[in-house]
Amino acid sequence: MTAYRIIYWQLGNTGHWVFYMLAALSVAFFLAGMATCVLVWKKKAASVELSFSWDALKRAMLDAFLGLRLFHGDIAAGTMHLLIFWGFLILFIGTVLMAAHEYMVSYLTGTIYLVYSLVMEVAGLMLLTGILWALTRRYIQRVPRLERRLEDALVPAWLLLVVITGYIVEGLQLAYLRPPWYRWSFAGWWIGSLFSAAEGKDLYLYLWWVHGLLSLSFIAAIPFTKLFHILGAPAGIYFQEHERPVDIMEGAGEFGLGELIFFDACMRCGRCVEACPSAGAGEPFAPRDFVQAMRRSIWQQYSTFGDIRFLGKGEVSEVDDKFWYCTTCRACLEVCPVYGAAFEAVVKKRVLAVEEGDVPKLINQTLEKLSKYDNPWESSRNKRGAWAEGTDLVDLTKTDAKTDICYFVGCTTSLEPTAQGEAQAFAKILQSAGVNFGILGKKEPCCGDVARRMGELGLFAEQRENSLNVFDEYGISDLVTFSPHCFNAFKNEYPQAPFRVRHYTIVLRELIAGGKLRFKENGRATVTYHDPCYLGRYNRIFDEPRQIIRSIPGLKLVEMSHHGADSLCCGGGGGRMWQKLEGVGKMSEVRIREAEATGAQIVVTACPLCRIMLEDARKAAGLNEKLRIMDLNELVLQALKETD
Amino acid sequence: MKELEIIVCAKQIPDPEAPLSDVRVDSEKMEVIVDAPQVISPFDENALEAALRIKEEMGAKITVLSMGKKVSDTVMRKNLAAGADKLILLQDDAFENLDSHSTAGVLADAIRKIGEYDLILTGRQAGDWDFGQVGLILGELLGLPCVSLAREIKVKDGNVLVKKNILGGYEEVKAKMPALVTVSNEVGELRYISKTKMLTMLRGGASIPTWKSGDFVSAGAKLQKMNIVELSSPPDMRRDCEMLEGSTPAEKAGKLAAIFKSLR
Amino acid sequence: MNDVLILGDVKEGALDIRTLELLGVGKKLAGSLNVELSVVLVGDAVSEAAKQAVSYGAARAYKVEHPLLKGFKADLWVASLEQACSKIKPKVFLMGHSLTGMELGPRLACRLDTRLTTDCTDLSIDPKDGLLLRTKPVSGGNAVSVFKCRGEPQLATVRGKVFEPVAAVDGKGEIMDIAPAIDESMIKVESLGIVREETVALDKADVVVAGGAGLEEKEGFDMLQELSNALSKSFGNVMVGATRVAVDKGWITSDHQVGLTGTMVSPDIFVSVGISGAIQHIVGMIHSKKIITINTDRGCTMFKVSDYGIVEDYKKVVPALIQKLEELS
Repeated sequence: MTAYRIIYWQLGNTGHWVFYMLAALSVAFFLAGMATCVLVWKKKAASVELSFSWDALKRAMLDAFLGLRLFHGDIAAGTMHLLIFWGFLILFIGTVLMAAHEYMVSYLTGTIYLVYSLVMEVAGLMLLTGILWALTRRYIQRVPRLERRLEDALVPAWLLLVVITGYIVEGLQLAYLRPPWYRWSFAGWWIGSLFSAAEGKDLYLYLWWVHGLLSLSFIAAIPFTKLFHILGAPAGIYFQEHERPVDIMEGAGEFGLGELIFFDACMRCGRCVEACPSAGAGEPFAPRDFVQAMRRSIWQQYSTFGDIRFLGKGEVSEVDDKFWYCTTCRACLEVCPVYGAAFEAVVKKRVLAVEEGDVPKLINQTLEKLSKYDNPWESSRNKRGAWAEGTDLVDLTKTDAKTDICYFVGCTTSLEPTAQGEAQAFAKILQSAGVNFGILGKKEPCCGDVARRMGELGLFAEQRENSLNVFDEYGISDLVTFSPHCFNAFKNEYPQAPFRVRHYTIVLRELIAGGKLRFKENGRATVTYHDPCYLGRYNRIFDEPRQIIRSIPGLKLVEMSHHGADSLCCGGGGGRMWQKLEGVGKMSEVRIREAEATGAQIVVTACPLCRIMLEDARKAAGLNEKLRIMDLNELVLQALKETD
Repeated sequence: MKELEIIVCAKQIPDPEAPLSDVRVDSEKMEVIVDAPQVISPFDENALEAALRIKEEMGAKITVLSMGKKVSDTVMRKNLAAGADKLILLQDDAFENLDSHSTAGVLADAIRKIGEYDLILTGRQAGDWDFGQVGLILGELLGLPCVSLAREIKVKDGNVLVKKNILGGYEEVKAKMPALVTVSNEVGELRYISKTKMLTMLRGGASIPTWKSGDFVSAGAKLQKMNIVELSSPPDMRRDCEMLEGSTPAEKAGKLAAIFKSLR
Repeated sequence: MNDVLILGDVKEGALDIRTLELLGVGKKLAGSLNVELSVVLVGDAVSEAAKQAVSYGAARAYKVEHPLLKGFKADLWVASLEQACSKIKPKVFLMGHSLTGMELGPRLACRLDTRLTTDCTDLSIDPKDGLLLRTKPVSGGNAVSVFKCRGEPQLATVRGKVFEPVAAVDGKGEIMDIAPAIDESMIKVESLGIVREETVALDKADVVVAGGAGLEEKEGFDMLQELSNALSKSFGNVMVGATRVAVDKGWITSDHQVGLTGTMVSPDIFVSVGISGAIQHIVGMIHSKKIITINTDRGCTMFKVSDYGIVEDYKKVVPALIQKLEELS
């Protein structure tokens, strides 16, 4: 006898129509919910340009189907999600196929049906396992980044019931039919064996409606719960904007379509919270909270019905001022499965706050200083070149001599008293290697990074224009910066800049490779390297500094538990260096403890802000005897073999 | 209800935050030369902030006056960017280095030309000369009730209600408007004005009325300059510091404790 | 009648120490001008203070008494002093640069058609024309200027704690009454009430222990309070002070602020902890008898104006210091 399945068994005519109506209703709700989302996005988004990109589509599909980002740092999570994803997808496709079979051409019979049935069975089990695993992780293992709100229990429980009732329905039919191909539906059969044939017939309809209603309402609920990520996540990944180099001044501070979809697609997985150094240091900021509050406040403002996610009623919909804590370290983007850049949304919020004049007092003062004196440290322009007094460095603003390279020192390294030694160190190294370079001295402009991170885009634009003018005036075409912040600004935020810019680590690496710098052994030491956020995560420069360290004899390089792309922020970025927030020492202390745990004697970094933060942390943690903080230049300078 | 009219007097001075290293005292020309950008005197910014808060609470029209030999409209437009409605510059060579009384006289003439006002706000003292007189003299010249050192200002039913600093606390006072109030920093810092707002204000190109002495100063008014007899750098405040050394903090502390004992 | 006149300040029935300082400088000026020194006192009951004033060497003490003059009401005090001056016709009139002086001075100058110089740190008579030479710091303390103005009386407010207070000489001077013609209609600013805040009178301290940005956290002030407690066992009035930066950060209230826009202090000992030494702060404490600085930055300005210094993290030194002080006492 050819295998088959009875569809709509015992469902009379009325039953059919009721079912069709409910199905239509469910789809209508689904579409209405989706339409509301799209309307909100359209109203809020700066521009809705729907461009087509194969690359983006490929990336979205790969991420969706393989879920690779979910494995990052949590293999269990990745596996679990893959089970749910594929289980659900296969079952969904299976239902579509069954519908085709029912309404178009009958083909799911015989062997085809048996294979189909087996695949569906396995898929169902995958889904079941996945959901149970998910619930275990959340409620029994209590993974810290996972929340336990009503929605978080209700949604998986709902889907679980759909699956279970599905098996029961199948089982009941099999109990009655007792077909010879029952083994192909082994799970259903196992359930079916618990019932007699009569029970199978009697109970079937009830269970069928239960299963049907649960399923239809599940579909309807997608846009109204965090299930939205089913469609939102691939869409968000497709539209993610941060990869596109956009001149920040265009549509400055406006939220783009990708960002808005991100807010809605956010599944509250909490990977960002886990990675965020601010949350990790016990500060009152977490990317997830910010994103969700942004989401709700946008919905309150732009949707006629308010926030349609009814399960989140009591939640925060005011974005408070905690977003000033964000260091813009980019760790959240590194781990977010939908490539959500919470820190960029934070900066955009800062832009709005700055326009309203609603900024914390110290930021007010820092921005005033930046505006008047082109640096956030001193109330004076005149000290900028002071670190070079007594040296015979070429001042590019004075002589007509052109040098190959312009050494862009940056405000912190020029002005902060403890940092000036580093400024000189790099200069000495360049001299030792015979590099033809000069500095801008007193006339050195501000790269604009601090203003940019604090959200003062008008000031950033002004500083950018000023920098471009200075470089133009003195014919600067090849820059080497000390600070990764300056490097990042010049490289990524000066579109169509007519100059080349490198960070000093790149130059050092080149000099070493070219044999221009040679080292002697300067004692043995164990060293660990702290990746600055703006060098590492932002610009993917992880290897060069390590190669430099490894070329110095006598040094052993060990890694902290968070290193490379996972590096933990020191807490100095995002304008925090000038804020002195409540409890702000903790972040860098967490990092210094990690350094201590490696057993290293020296912590090396390549950013002046990192160095200052880590020094302070070292003092606060009482590790002055055990650890030294050094800039990479100082380490290199110490080990230089004197050239003949 | 007629709109509340507030006049704020704001002085342009070199940035008082500039460090000593950027200040040069020219004893011959009797000038203090500061290598720093020009800004609005800080207490006058506090006065503007107080005015803006009243405007936010109950609506008001704020006119800012600034007097000097040369008043930069780039600097002063910040008032407009912050939310002031009108800016009038009183610019004339004759206004250079006037003493407090004459300054107040010029401002009084300007205010009489403006005509209608309910409240005049000024900073308690200017960040360059620190005399602290112009506000109160202005109040006297115009015959207004004067309140000084305000830390909070509210307006209600034709009266101005002020919390003013006194020794050991504050006093709550009431005066019928029109009145003059000088403002202290406790009122609160001026809100941040974004560069974009400033640039929009600058590029907006709306012309700023500039009045010369002849336009409004009463005929026969004698404008007296400050009579500076001598200007010098401050006396050397340096002392010979004896550094207490030690190999441990405890050792250093011990030496200091001994010094305390000797000073008893 | 061409006297040098001082506005006396009465606190709890007795002359305030600032008045004694004014008498000191007034005496000097009276000597230069070859005129007499007098004091004017305003209030509802100033007889005791008047007797005190003559006992300190004033040739005359004028009592401007009126029940309405109880407590400081600027409108009435200005009117009373205006009348008193037109009767007394002083050559020079000095007041303290206090909150009352700051309010009375400019308004009185306007009414008497004379010119005022505020916050003077030195006063002398120009022998050429007998006018008052007024010295005051300007530009936030970056320069010192000497002014001369026209007008009679020569009017100035004087910075406190700069001049030496005069000693009692058991003088015998006249006490005269000047009845002010004032009434309630002159009051244009109505007082609704006074709210006392718990503030510290920093300028009365014998020892000030001040903290700045270098404390790095609010809790640093707790440590300074402990040090103050330890020091108060051996020294009289020990108080905690702060720089404007510390106040701005919200670590401590503004009544603890030492500096140009805070309180000017000149205690016997000033201990500066974690303060780099901005000029506006330094001018507020530079006249302290002994200045001790604790800071990690050897090159900071504070050390340049100190008598003793320790280059060290205060978190290490201060607890040890507290301990040593306990041992020694």
